[in-house]
Amino acid sequence: MDRKELEAKILELVSTSYNKDISTLSMDTRIKEDLGGASVLMVGLVSEIENELDVLVQLPVAAACKTIGELVDKTEELL
Amino acid sequence: MANILDRLYEKAKLDVQRVAFPEADNEKMMQAAYECGRDGYIVPILVGDAEQLKALCAQRGYDEGVFTFVDVNNEEYKNKLIAAYVAQPGRILKEKALGRRMADPLYFAAVMQAVDEADVTFAGINNTTGDVILAGQMVVGLQPGIATISSIGLCDIPGYEGSEGSLLAIGDSAVCTNPNAEQLASIAISACDTVRSLLDWEPRCALVCYSTRGSGQGELIDKVIEAAKIANQQRPDLAIEGELQLDAAIVPAVAAKKVKEDSRVAGKANVVIWPDLNVGNVAVKLIQQFGRADAYGPMLQGFQKVVCDCSRGAPVSEIKGNVIISAVRAAGMKK
Repeated sequence: MDRKELEAKILELVSTSYNKDISTLSMDTRIKEDLGGASVLMVGLVSEIENELDVLVQLPVAAACKTIGELVDKTEELL
Repeated sequence: MANILDRLYEKAKLDVQRVAFPEADNEKMMQAAYECGRDGYIVPILVGDAEQLKALCAQRGYDEGVFTFVDVNNEEYKNKLIAAYVAQPGRILKEKALGRRMADPLYFAAVMQAVDEADVTFAGINNTTGDVILAGQMVVGLQPGIATISSIGLCDIPGYEGSEGSLLAIGDSAVCTNPNAEQLASIAISACDTVRSLLDWEPRCALVCYSTRGSGQGELIDKVIEAAKIANQQRPDLAIEGELQLDAAIVPAVAAKKVKEDSRVAGKANVVIWPDLNVGNVAVKLIQQFGRADAYGPMLQGFQKVVCDCSRGAPVSEIKGNVIISAVRAAGMKK
């Protein structure tokens, strides 16, 4: 999976987990400020990444990411 | 009158629950599980490497017959659990991710609980509070409509004559640091459900802060008023009111003076919810230090089923008390 495909996949998973229209999301979307939501949504997102990409991004690592782009970076490192 | 814990011990015997222990290799945990099981308060299920657990059991001189052993390496049983789990609606984790996590007895126990092979997951001696909450959140899941995991404590305060005698439930003094209005509403709702399942109380819950019915103004108060509104919308069946000061919440004479309109809670609250963890932590210490109170808990709440995290430094007697409280809550939640 190349970087572009990974970005598209993560955007899709964020969109599902946070119930946001995918067209409003980008690599610069700030997770805390722009997406908001309870921490349980991040738990859901990490689970979705694990299910779909077969990679375990630990919750504290994901929670420390400021933007979706950073989350893609962390996932890419683990793939 | 017997103290509250003695009464809960007796109550546990009336409807015996299955408690899964994923940290039974720990000596204190196994002793607590053994004594609770031997005396008929619970059915203890030890989850881990069954051979190792059996060896430890023999070495520590316990009767093996008291325990049910569940081996995390039993692939057949594991696959059966996974199949039952992923078939449940709304579950986030899928087969592969779940299977990987179930190498950890904590997750294995939580899955057993989620598919009704156990009633309680009891941990916290080896795992941190964060580990236990995460496993509970990921596998057992939150109650519908609840925005956060939180906790309450049960205080037995000598000389206090409240609407439940010397007992008062307080929360959250341990988990949710700075709840927003929605989360504060969730804490209040969960607290009402917790005291009902544990103690059969009719909950009367006060959201407290430094103002009573508009006597003060400011953003700290706005959050509490908003939380009361959300809680009432979400659960109109529960008596949850705010904003109230602590004395207006629990002292009838003060309530009569400060709260002019009809109230189901003012002056007779049996559940007090703090606005944030700063208040909660200081308040519980004040109650313990100056009130000489016994404080039981913290009891985690907000999960679909009872997940308990005990303190890592807890002695066996405290672990047993928490096991009993968890079992009684689990029985109460089924009603």
